[in-house]
Amino acid sequence: MKKKILIFPFITFLFILIVFFYLLVIERDPSELPSVLIDKKIPTFEAESLLNKKKFISKNEFGNETTLVNFFATWCGPCRDEHVYLKRLSNEKGLKIIGVNYKDDSNKTVEWLKELGNPYSDVIVDSKGLIGIDWGVYGIPETYIVNSKGIIKYRLVGSITKKNYNAFYSKIKKSED
Amino acid sequence: MTKTLLTIVIISIMILFFSKISYSVEPEEFLQNPKQEIRARDISKNIRCLVCQNQSIDDSSAPLAKDLRALIRMKVQENNSDEEIYKFLTDRYGDFILLKPPFKINTFLLWSLPFIFLIIGIFILFVHNKKSKKIS
Amino acid sequence: MIMVPSLGNFSLWLALCFAIFQFVISCKKNNQSTLYLNRIAVNGLLLCAFLSFLSLMYSYLVSDFSVANVFQNSHTTKPLLYKIAAVWGNHEGSMLLWILVLAIFNYFIFKLYNKTNSIFISKTLETQAFVTIGFLLFTLLTSNPFERIIPVPTNGLGFNPILQDPALAIHPPLLYIGYVGFSAAFSFSVSAMSIESIEKVPWYNYMKPFVLAAWAFLTIGIAFGSIWAYYELGWGGWWFWDPVENASLMPWLLGTALIHSLVTVEKKKMLQKWVLLLAILAFLLSVIGTFLVRSGILTSVHTFALDPARGIYILVFIGILGTYSLILFATSTKKNFEKNYVSFLSREGSILINNIIMIVVCSSVFLGTIYPLIIEAFSNNKISVGEPYYNSTVIPIMIPAILVMGVGPLLSWKKIDVKKIFWKTLPSIVLTIIVITIFLWIYQSYNPLGIIGIILSCWIISNIIFTQNNIPKFSKSMVMAHLGIGLLILGITGSSVWQKEKILRMKVNDEIIIHNYNIIFKEIKEVVEKNYIALQGNFWVYNKKNNIITKLHPENRFYPVTNNSTTEASIHTNLLRDLYIVLGDGNQKDGWVVRVYYNPLVVWIWIGAFVIFLGGLFSININLKILKRLSL
Repeated sequence: MKKKILIFPFITFLFILIVFFYLLVIERDPSELPSVLIDKKIPTFEAESLLNKKKFISKNEFGNETTLVNFFATWCGPCRDEHVYLKRLSNEKGLKIIGVNYKDDSNKTVEWLKELGNPYSDVIVDSKGLIGIDWGVYGIPETYIVNSKGIIKYRLVGSITKKNYNAFYSKIKKSED
Repeated sequence: MTKTLLTIVIISIMILFFSKISYSVEPEEFLQNPKQEIRARDISKNIRCLVCQNQSIDDSSAPLAKDLRALIRMKVQENNSDEEIYKFLTDRYGDFILLKPPFKINTFLLWSLPFIFLIIGIFILFVHNKKSKKIS
Repeated sequence: MIMVPSLGNFSLWLALCFAIFQFVISCKKNNQSTLYLNRIAVNGLLLCAFLSFLSLMYSYLVSDFSVANVFQNSHTTKPLLYKIAAVWGNHEGSMLLWILVLAIFNYFIFKLYNKTNSIFISKTLETQAFVTIGFLLFTLLTSNPFERIIPVPTNGLGFNPILQDPALAIHPPLLYIGYVGFSAAFSFSVSAMSIESIEKVPWYNYMKPFVLAAWAFLTIGIAFGSIWAYYELGWGGWWFWDPVENASLMPWLLGTALIHSLVTVEKKKMLQKWVLLLAILAFLLSVIGTFLVRSGILTSVHTFALDPARGIYILVFIGILGTYSLILFATSTKKNFEKNYVSFLSREGSILINNIIMIVVCSSVFLGTIYPLIIEAFSNNKISVGEPYYNSTVIPIMIPAILVMGVGPLLSWKKIDVKKIFWKTLPSIVLTIIVITIFLWIYQSYNPLGIIGIILSCWIISNIIFTQNNIPKFSKSMVMAHLGIGLLILGITGSSVWQKEKILRMKVNDEIIIHNYNIIFKEIKEVVEKNYIALQGNFWVYNKKNNIITKLHPENRFYPVTNNSTTEASIHTNLLRDLYIVLGDGNQKDGWVVRVYYNPLVVWIWIGAFVIFLGGLFSININLKILKRLSL
């Protein structure tokens, strides 16, 4: 009995070592934060729309088709980089993209969309970042996949790139399962 | 005259550079009511700045930290309780946002192990004491 | 002189050869030639490590940018002191320092050689050589500081200015003496477990000065890191429970436990097995702590390198060291390691309490540091463990340890008479009560933590004062270290409980009042230095009677080379309090954000740490004398 206790430090040591090893080997970004909203209903909100004169009411806009919610701003470099991919996605049938213009200047955004093209079916103004907080946004760009039942299925932190485009695309397809 | 002018020029250039220095809560954010302000600060000290490392939003200059500080102050002014505010934040950002992890199933060991260790320690102490008496 | 880095690289490889040589000869059966060969190996290793270290330092001094390491971390405009400090201010260079310190401790272990202990020391050197080989291979294969770049750049990338600071320049060497010092304890422990006739060798006497050195230097190293954080990070605090800080605190706690239980082994031959385990754990934790903050597993402010290959190498190495030593620990069955039972009320009892609490605190800190990782590994969640967790676990557990510490040194070994002890401590109890009453009466501050802190500090210090004359000469160093802890608690309590803070926007000629001081913002101006430009505020501090006390000059610095900004707090210190000013954002029109802190008793934290350090040094001296007597 006494002797068996002596192996305890070794077992603890081994356990910790394995955890560290596992964390080092798997591909992981220590600064990435998983969203708690996955598999939950979207937060309801009302806001001004940038392009249309009427109010944006979330209840009316979600729940019919797969929707991407993309948080962006003109002051954010990576947002410009991912714009091409958003445009490519906007051609997809049965997919709508809603842009949330995060803490930005509306005039600049209109200019920006004119210059680069507009992939969004609607752009919402979030001048104080409060909608962002409701969605748990911590760094833009962030893109949420919302399925046709209004359930959030996935969140991408950072921009859509050549590298992750295909993976992201298959997540969109899978969101309806 | 030219010297002052130069100073102003240099200072204005430097302000551009310094815009990134890490500072914390700013005087303009403070609430008028000192009691509410103390509450708001105590809460912000327990909220992690998500884009920083090991800093509370009270210590951070990140824009998101600033937004969250403003949000907390708004909620405090609206007479939300501390629990409501913490819940509001964890509903959106998860337990990660709390610097003091809540007592839950997955943090059970975190909170209880130190005290379990202590109890084991005290137990060892008493075993020692008893056996030493027997020997003498 | 283009040869110098190559020379450094060569001597590092040569050091590896010497280390392997030492390992091989120490494995063999003992005889006269072993001593001779060991002498060659030990001295060769030391010489090569030193040469290699000097080569890198030379490359920094002459700004030889053909060396990638110098290019990445230095710049011609950098002041001399920071060119030297830059050698260990980065991952590769700090590995070189680590190896140098290993070689130095290796040399000191060899110095203990005599006829009676040759088998024991030989085995210790074998283990030490193995550890050294591991780190040398790590450095040479994954983080070689002498890698060259072609074509040679005209200037370096500079060195993070937040690290350009005298306190931080000296911090790593001190800390490394601490960490690496535990490698000696580890080797002694492994050796003691594997030698047949260990009961004839006073292994604990050999281990003790090394543990003391490691612990004392760790103390002062942590203190310097803390001082740096205090005035450089600009939050008025000095401890943030950052993973890097925790990594140095954990070995310190185990070291504290180890020193105390070593005394029990020395005096009563009790707790031997326990000490062997502690020595192993202290070193393993030093290495795990140091390298896992570097591997990028934990993202932390100070993280040096983000290279998983390095992490995996070091993890495998730790795995080998840990598995070998801990299995040896579990299986070695030696008669003299058998337990003797310790009575609760005795000197050894108080030491056991100290040990248990140190272990519990250390495991809490460890748990807090790695728990988010475990959660992340086993679920999809992420949690944070921050300051509030440590405060609510570490502080309550620590309090009984400090209470016991006050009375522990007064107890006698084996059994004690409770009544006698009561009479002995009565004056301290009375004094503590008087002090706390006066304190409450004058300051009217009823913060429970503050009161507890003052009581604990007073209890320790008064016990030391009243028993001055009864303490034997060789225990003076212990008393000194305890006094340091008393002062440390005073400082910690004062600065964390009664800190006052004012944050406001000030224009030139504005005034602010903080705790009876009147501070006037006189002017703001630019300062141009060799490697930075700064915006400097000028604040005049007046006391109640309107006499000027000091002028404070907080700065915001901008370093053009690395495109970094730092804040330099300006602090006026006396024995009772610090006045601490940080300059923030602002402009001429709206004013500048100014943060003013009134931090009571902060200076006692540093004084306390220094007194502990001195106590440690004296104790080393005493223990070396004991060792000399042994070898006669």
